[in-house]
Formats: sequence, structure tokens, C-alpha cells
Amino acid sequence: MNNIALGQFYPSSSVMHRLDPRMKIIIAIAYIVASFLCKNVISFALLLVSAFALILLSRIPVKIVLRSIKAIIFIMIFTAVLNVFWTKGDAEELLVSWKFIQIYMSGIYNAVFIAVRIIAMIIGTSIFLTYTTTPIQLTDAIEQLLAPLKLLKVPVHEFAMMMTIALRFIPTIVEETEKIMAAQKARGADFTNGSLAKRAKALIPVLIPLFISAFRRAGELATAMTCRCYRGGKGRTKLNVLRFTYRDFIALVFIAAFIAGIVLLNIYAPGYSM
Amino acid sequence: MAKITVDNVSYVYSAGTPFEVRALDGVCIEIKENTVTGIIGHTGSGKSTLVQMFNGLVKPSSGRILLDGEDIWAKPKEIGKVRYRVGLVMQYPEYQLFEDTVWEDIAYGPKNMGLDGDEIKKRVSEAAELVGLEKDALEKSPFDLSGGQKRRAAIAGIMAMRPEVLVLDEPSAGLDPAGRNSIFDGIKRYAAATGAAVIIVSHSMDDMAKYCSELVVLSHSKVAMTGSCREVFSKCEELESIGLGVPQMTRLVMLLREKGIDVPTDIYTVDEAEATLARMLGGAL
Amino acid sequence: MSYIKIRNLNFSYKDDEGNPESVLRDLSLDIKKGEYVAVLGHNGSGKSTLAKLLNLVIDDYDYFEGSIEIDGVEISSSDMTEDDIYELRKKVGMVFQNPDNQIVATIVEEDVAFGPENLGLPREEIRRRVDEALATVGMTEYSRHEPHRLSGGQKQRIAIAGIIAMRPECIIFDESTAMLDPMGRREVVDTMEKLNREEGKTIITITHYMDEAVRADRVVVIDDGRIILDGKPSEIFAEADKLRACGLDLPQCSDLVLRLRSRGIKIDGEINTPEECAEAIYKAFKKS
Repeated sequence: MNNIALGQFYPSSSVMHRLDPRMKIIIAIAYIVASFLCKNVISFALLLVSAFALILLSRIPVKIVLRSIKAIIFIMIFTAVLNVFWTKGDAEELLVSWKFIQIYMSGIYNAVFIAVRIIAMIIGTSIFLTYTTTPIQLTDAIEQLLAPLKLLKVPVHEFAMMMTIALRFIPTIVEETEKIMAAQKARGADFTNGSLAKRAKALIPVLIPLFISAFRRAGELATAMTCRCYRGGKGRTKLNVLRFTYRDFIALVFIAAFIAGIVLLNIYAPGYSM
Repeated sequence: MAKITVDNVSYVYSAGTPFEVRALDGVCIEIKENTVTGIIGHTGSGKSTLVQMFNGLVKPSSGRILLDGEDIWAKPKEIGKVRYRVGLVMQYPEYQLFEDTVWEDIAYGPKNMGLDGDEIKKRVSEAAELVGLEKDALEKSPFDLSGGQKRRAAIAGIMAMRPEVLVLDEPSAGLDPAGRNSIFDGIKRYAAATGAAVIIVSHSMDDMAKYCSELVVLSHSKVAMTGSCREVFSKCEELESIGLGVPQMTRLVMLLREKGIDVPTDIYTVDEAEATLARMLGGAL
Repeated sequence: MSYIKIRNLNFSYKDDEGNPESVLRDLSLDIKKGEYVAVLGHNGSGKSTLAKLLNLVIDDYDYFEGSIEIDGVEISSSDMTEDDIYELRKKVGMVFQNPDNQIVATIVEEDVAFGPENLGLPREEIRRRVDEALATVGMTEYSRHEPHRLSGGQKQRIAIAGIIAMRPECIIFDESTAMLDPMGRREVVDTMEKLNREEGKTIITITHYMDEAVRADRVVVIDDGRIILDGKPSEIFAEADKLRACGLDLPQCSDLVLRLRSRGIKIDGEINTPEECAEAIYKAFKKS
């Protein structure tokens, strides 16, 4: 029960793990932008290569990363197939024409491009944001990236504190849910058989105690936090402050060069372009 | 014949993953009829898993659990019936209360059993009486009761199903001495009224000494010792070597014996110590 | 001079129907700096309310009369500002019953840092205090662990470290051992004792475990909102009838000795622990 994985953080000490989480958020966004900038065969090829380079850099087993792609494989195939059928190209490119179905060479290209783009985006974001970064690092990073919004009276600190507490309590609440379910099963509750309505009703004896307990926990936690002199973000310092290092700047240079490379390939590389 | 037989039971959590944990390993126990059996062990010794096997909440990875000589998993579809025959009171059972009134909450189990209205009424008032809940408490919301009363209401909810075996996981945890006593009194009354076998899991050696006649000691997922209280507590060194305490009186006897006073080793309650020492020291009887 | 001075405290809550429910009645108590006091009482005796009042974390009350003075500051006065309360909480730390509900962060050292962070201390100072606090409770090697994977006793020690890191002069334990197994209880009580003996902290522990009270310098028994007994553990546990009348028990050894004495057997000395008891009975054997 103690092994609930929050997100899919994969512990390691690779370069990717050691990057500043703020930089990882920025780079992840830049990487998504880059994947949308790709236009032709060579730039997409570069994108695909870069995605696998990221996996190697993060030292996460390829098998594990591919699992996250498996989850969206249907969406990917669906989008690709739509592209095959819906892309209208020049007449000389027409490959198949059968009744109302017309498949053009450019349709095939587009389908492959879209698939590569989705794969790269999934690999990129999951490498940067889930496999190599813990949820709590992400929360910290978001808080600091959004810090300027405090000037506009956006409660950035409070939002981050809520996220932190939520992350802290997820395992506790999951464990508690299992305990209450077991206790009600011991009194004859049946959560698996019967109609949907019946099963939903069977959950009431779980949900009510769970809510009551959650409120009690919240109250007790608030008291404990008050006793530890918590009074919001004002005047608060932090033990672990995020600091950019040379590594982060190198990463920034890399992503900038990568985007520049894709733009140049779009302009100068030969072959079919979207 | 044994009421419950745990026959070479093992249990593995998250089998086949790097997180694999062996919670129970080749456990063999017999729970006798009409007796109170105590199960002792550290947090993590596997006792919570074992307790949830008695009523089929957890299915053994291997081995069998026999109730009256029959494998409870022989017909997996009918495991629900086993839960009515073996009543399990989990740790901090007050967190399972959910109905509008205490009465309704105690009636939840009997209703799930499909009993008719009159029978439910009879069982609820009987169970409430056994645990010592007053009539007016039954009309209250369970959330308005005191901590000790909530605990008793939750235990009554299991007793109302009239199980042949009553299993309680740490029934007195967190209660004050008066609360602890009233819980154990309720359990004793239930056992006397129904003749049920009772299984109590507890950390408190003193409670064990006071209320149980048979003991099972679990350590590192295995059965370390079984026998009567007398037999188990006489093996002080062994108990202490697995990091479990002994009842305070047993400890006292050990200390006295170390000092060369020949006190019998089978003492574990204050009453016994008082009688024996008074006799030896020639006090008034 | 007493560190905590409570005079004629009357306190009542509002119950669900809005009627006052008296919790503390005319309670007066003095606690000296560096004392180790156990407060005993059955559930609902008012002992937890008293603890929470010392940290001003009750705001939903009906009636509050009398005075509470901590370190010369009258905290019960109505002109306590938010900053005054903040100063009070720096001086008096609290550890609660359920370890799960007082740990804020997902990493041990960040949780211990929570208090010092709230105090606005510089980073290096926080680091120093966190390391020190974790060493004091013997949890240094767990500094990068996730709290939810620790045992109850370990979690509670993390909660204690979180309080120590704020360097309070006094720490109140509000039934902090009630949810722990014997091993966890031992860990926490050993920590309390260490904080008192080695660091000179004033310790107030609210409990209903007699064997924990035995280890304190002084025991205060509260029943029905009043103090009914106050003295050294050995004095308190000689009052078997009074303790039983308010729903408490005796440590078994004290009980045994009282019973033997009532049978006319002479057993001398202050007896609380099995060791003391064995020694005294041994002497009685030698005499007879």
C-alpha cells in the first residue's frame, strides 16, 4: 500500500533529473513549440531523433517511456488515419481513388508527420515533466515562475501550498479509502456486483466517512500549521531555493539551437513540406 | 475441532514487481471454539493481513483458511457469507460510521444480510446492550457521540450480525483506561452470550494477559510462538528477543528471579502476583 | 518564578445547540521552566482544551475567564495582537495526536523546515536548525524520505523535529502517543525525556498512559475541568481510589505494592517502575 506512485517519477541522477525544474518547464514548452514548427521530412526526422536522444539522456528504460505512448496509441492512429483520408493534394499525387475515398501522397506524409509530432510531444513532456521531475518540484517551480503574478494580487503562494498539501495527502487518503472499503465489506457491503445504480449507492457508506475524515484532517492540519507560525506566504523564506546552474544555461542554448535548426531546415531542406 | 484453521498460508503483496513484499509466510494456526485468542506482533509483522484473511477480505496467495473444516474460498462467489459468520472489527472502527443515527448504523450489517425488520430490531438492541450503549444514544447521530461511545457503536455494528467468530484489530487503541475496560467488557459479554470464538489483535501485553487464554505470536511474517498465555509468557527471553515486551508482572517476576528469589514463572496478572507474593511474604490473606 | 501561570481559569465551549458546555472550572496551575509535567485525565476531562489554550488555537468558545501568563506575558488578555500570538507560538510548540495530520510537506527535511521558514529565517540558519533537529530525534538518515512511508513513531518524531527547529522553550504533547504502537511510544517518550534532560526544555505531556506519566517529574490529574491531584508520580499513584474514581488506572507495579501493603506487608520506597518494585520486594524478602 505504501507504493502508490505519484505521477511517474523515475528516480535516477541523470543530467535531466538534475536540471532546474523551472528550466524543464520552459524547455518543455519550447519543445512543444518546436514540434509544431516542423514542416518537412528532414525537420520531422530531427524531431524524432531528438525525442529518442532525450530518453537516452534521462537514462529511463525505453520500455517505460513507450508505455506512456501506448496509452495514446489509439488517438494517434485515429488522427493519422483522418489525415490520410482528408488531405487533398495535387492530382498527380493521387494514389488511390475508390468511390468517395481518395488517398494522396501528401496525406500519407501528413499522417506520418502528425504521428511523429504526437510521439515527440508525449516523450518530450513526459521526460521533462513527469519522469525526471517530482510533483513537488513542479509545484515549487510553478510557484516561482508565476511569482511575478503576485504583484497582480494572484494568490500564487496559496495555490502552491494547496498543491503541496494535496500531493502530501493523496497517499494518506487512498490508504484510508481502502481501509473504509474493507470495513464496510466486513459488514456485507458489495461494491462489485449489481447494477450501476446499486454500485453507486454502495459507495455512500465509503464516501460519507471519507469526507468526514478529510474535513477532520483538514481542521487538524490547519491547527498544526497555525501552531507552527504559518500565516501565509508573507515573510516566509525557504530551505530549498531553486538555483539555475551552468547546466540549465547549456540546456537553454541547446533548445534554442534546436528550434533554430528546425526553422532553418524548414526553409532550406528539400522534399515535401506540410 | 478447530473453529478456524489457517493451513500453511502465505501472502505476497505486489507480486512480480520490485516492490514485492511477503506479508505472511507459511502460517499455520488453529483457533479453538469458545476461547479468546490473542494475536501479538509488531506493526508490519503481518498480523493485519492475517486478520483480514479470517473473513475473506484478503485471499491467501497460497494455503487455505478453513472455517468449521471447510475452505472458505471453495466457492469464491459465496465469500460474502463468510463475512457474516466471521465478524471483523477493524482498527479505529469508528471511522466506518456513516448513517444518520447510531441505530441505523448498527443495523447496516444485518440489513445487508437480508434479515427481516423484526429480527434487525432485535439484533440492534441486543448488540447495543452488549456494548453498553444507552437507548437514547441510539437515536443520536453517531458523530455526536464521545470517542469511546463511537468505538462501541462500531463494534455493536459487527456484533449485530451475530458472527460465530469475532475478530478485533486493536479494539482499545487510543482509548483511556475506562474506555478500554468498557470495550473489553462488551467483548466478554458477547462471547458469553453467543459462545463465539474471539480473536483479539493487540500491542498491549497487559491487555492480552488479562483477557486472552491462547496466544499467537507473529514475527517477520511467520508464527514465532503459539500456546496458552502461561506457556507463551513463560518464554520471556524469546519474546524480548523478537522485540516484544512481556506483561509488567512477568517482567517483575523475571527481575525477582534474577535477584535469587524463587518466584514461580507463570505469573502475569496483578491478581496472581498479589496472591503469590502475599503467600511468600506471609501477609494477611 | 513560574514559566506558565494559570489563575482561576473558567472556560466553556458552545455545543451544537449553542448552549455553553463547561470544560475547565476554576483551574489554577504553575509550571516552572525546565519542568517535565504529565497531565493525566480521562477523555473529555478538559486536558486537551487546556493544552490548546496555551497556544491560543481555540477560537470557537463561549466563555473564557481567568488569566494565563506565559513567560511573563499575559496571553489571555484581549489586547494580544496577531504579532504577540506569533511570538507566543515561537515560545510554546505543540505536537498533536495524529502524526499524519501535522506533516505538511512530502519530504521529511522540508517538513521540518516548515516552521523556520514561517519565521522568515535565512536559508543557512534553516539548514542548520533542520539538521540539528533531525539529529536530536535521531532521524538524520531519513531527511530525504517521504513521510508517508515511515512508521507512526518515526512520523511523530518528524513532527517533533518540526517543532524543535523553531527552538521553543516549552513543548506541549497533546496525546502524541495515543495512536502509536509500543515501539513508537517508546521512541516518542524517550525523545521527550531527552529534550527535557539534555536540552532543558519545559515539557508538558498530556496522556492517559500511566507508564508514561511515571517518567515525568510531576503529574497533574484533571477531572471534570478541575485539578484533583498534583505532585510527584509516586505521590499521585498512591492515591489509587481517587485515580480510579476519575476513570484512570494505576501502573500495575504501584497497584501491586499498594495491595501488598494493605495486606500488612511492609514495602518501603517510591515505586513506579518494575525495577523499583523488584528492588523493594527483594528488600522485603530479605527482611522477612
